[in-house]
Amino acid sequence: MLNGLGSLRTLSLIGLFGVLGFSSAFANEPPASEEPGSVSVRLYQLEGSLPSEDPNSSQWDSVPSSEFNLAPQVHWPPRIQEVTVKSVKVKGVHNGQEMAILVEYADPAEDAADAAALEFMVGDKPAHFAHGQKMLQVEGGPVNIWYWKNESGKAVDMSAKGFKTLETQPHQDIQAKGVWENGIWKVVFSRLLKTEDDQDVQVEEGEWRSVAFAFWDGAVVDGLVKEKGGQKAVSTWWYIRAEPSADNSIFGWVILGLVLATAFELVIVRKLRKGQAV
Amino acid sequence: MKGPIISGAIILAGMFIFLKFLLPLVTAPLPASLIYLYLALVLSGILIYGTMSASSLEAMMGPVFRFLSGKGQTGASQMARLAVLVMFPLLVGWQTYSRLVPSDLPPAENRTIHPAPPGEFVGLSNPYPKTPENIMMGKGLYAAYCSPCHGANYDGKGPAAPGFNPPPANFSDPGTIAQLQEAYLFWRIKKGGVGLPVEGMPWKSAMPRWEDELPEEFIWKIIMGEYDGAHQTPRTWEEEE
Repeated sequence: MLNGLGSLRTLSLIGLFGVLGFSSAFANEPPASEEPGSVSVRLYQLEGSLPSEDPNSSQWDSVPSSEFNLAPQVHWPPRIQEVTVKSVKVKGVHNGQEMAILVEYADPAEDAADAAALEFMVGDKPAHFAHGQKMLQVEGGPVNIWYWKNESGKAVDMSAKGFKTLETQPHQDIQAKGVWENGIWKVVFSRLLKTEDDQDVQVEEGEWRSVAFAFWDGAVVDGLVKEKGGQKAVSTWWYIRAEPSADNSIFGWVILGLVLATAFELVIVRKLRKGQAV
Repeated sequence: MKGPIISGAIILAGMFIFLKFLLPLVTAPLPASLIYLYLALVLSGILIYGTMSASSLEAMMGPVFRFLSGKGQTGASQMARLAVLVMFPLLVGWQTYSRLVPSDLPPAENRTIHPAPPGEFVGLSNPYPKTPENIMMGKGLYAAYCSPCHGANYDGKGPAAPGFNPPPANFSDPGTIAQLQEAYLFWRIKKGGVGLPVEGMPWKSAMPRWEDELPEEFIWKIIMGEYDGAHQTPRTWEEEE
């Protein structure tokens, strides 16, 4: 009997390590890259510094991307029926302090007026994706817009709550860097996850926020910039979340479950061997 | 190994196959929760039957107890016992982990596609007669203002459609305008996405608020053109004509 119990203990220990290895392997494995038609952007957690300054950094290579289709802006005038940017690939990372979001899209030529923007809902009230415009039956909230333009080489931190309310924030919190190469724009936006500015989206690890995208092809056609202002490629709202830090308390509960299950087995087998239960 | 355990397992498996695969051949498929409930009832029946007397209990549980105690086991049955003893804690650990691990899925959305219209739009009727000229004009207006999203074929597949979430309505689907009155369309076109109540999630809708740009006459004629083009008829409460 001692031998039996001894081997049982050994097996239980093997089982314990087995489950721990299995569980942690699953916890750390990023899901396969999402197909076009994603519904969310995941900001993967990295250790140390982020590739905020370099859209071509090899650090981005291992980050899975989400992809979203874009539409010509036909929601309000001035409309546009045909736009250059048809879809965007988005990657995101954070390190618990800062976040960086990389947008990658096809645009056949580099132009001074090429531009890209991210839009976020701010606060608890849902904001309409079109600049937080007024809704008739629902009280909406404001939006935070991060706008990057090629000719300025930098990003502007903006706010809006309704049409014609778009304004540059008094406090600028974002950076951006764009690189055009072989018909592809890569623009990386970066900011602290949380700021002191209540006009900004505040990103809490593990909590969902809403994000939308807009892109302008600044090509000059017949002396006029092809896409500017409301004439742009847009998306409606999608979700974004900073991946939460691993919660190690889960493994404590798993170990407790394993120990209890093993103890239960030991008691049962022991009783059976003594012939009490049969 | 024959006896009540095997018979019970066969009854359970047969019941599962019946509920999951055979029953849907004659009626609507059962929800998984209901199948689970029925199987639980069958299992309790089997257990009650097996524990009715000391001899039936021994017939049912005896082999299980002897298997678990491991007395006098060799070879394959010894290995099987060890496998069971290892798998049980592993399953408990895995269940604990999968219950506690944070979900990676965005919040579920329950968007109501056709929420109730405001009272002022209930019962309105189209003031324009359905003449070929009016329908033609409506179709022309539809082509100019609506088709970029809702499609030249009224199928919700216009060139701008792939970028929007929720997607533009497909009017040729019998579940959209065929289920609605003209007054409902008048409301949705006039007030657009921003006119939706909270359950319609107005913040996601790209439908323009056309009252800012089009006279009511155009909206009523667009409705006419839309029904005609999509080969649908509006829903009515009374018999017409």
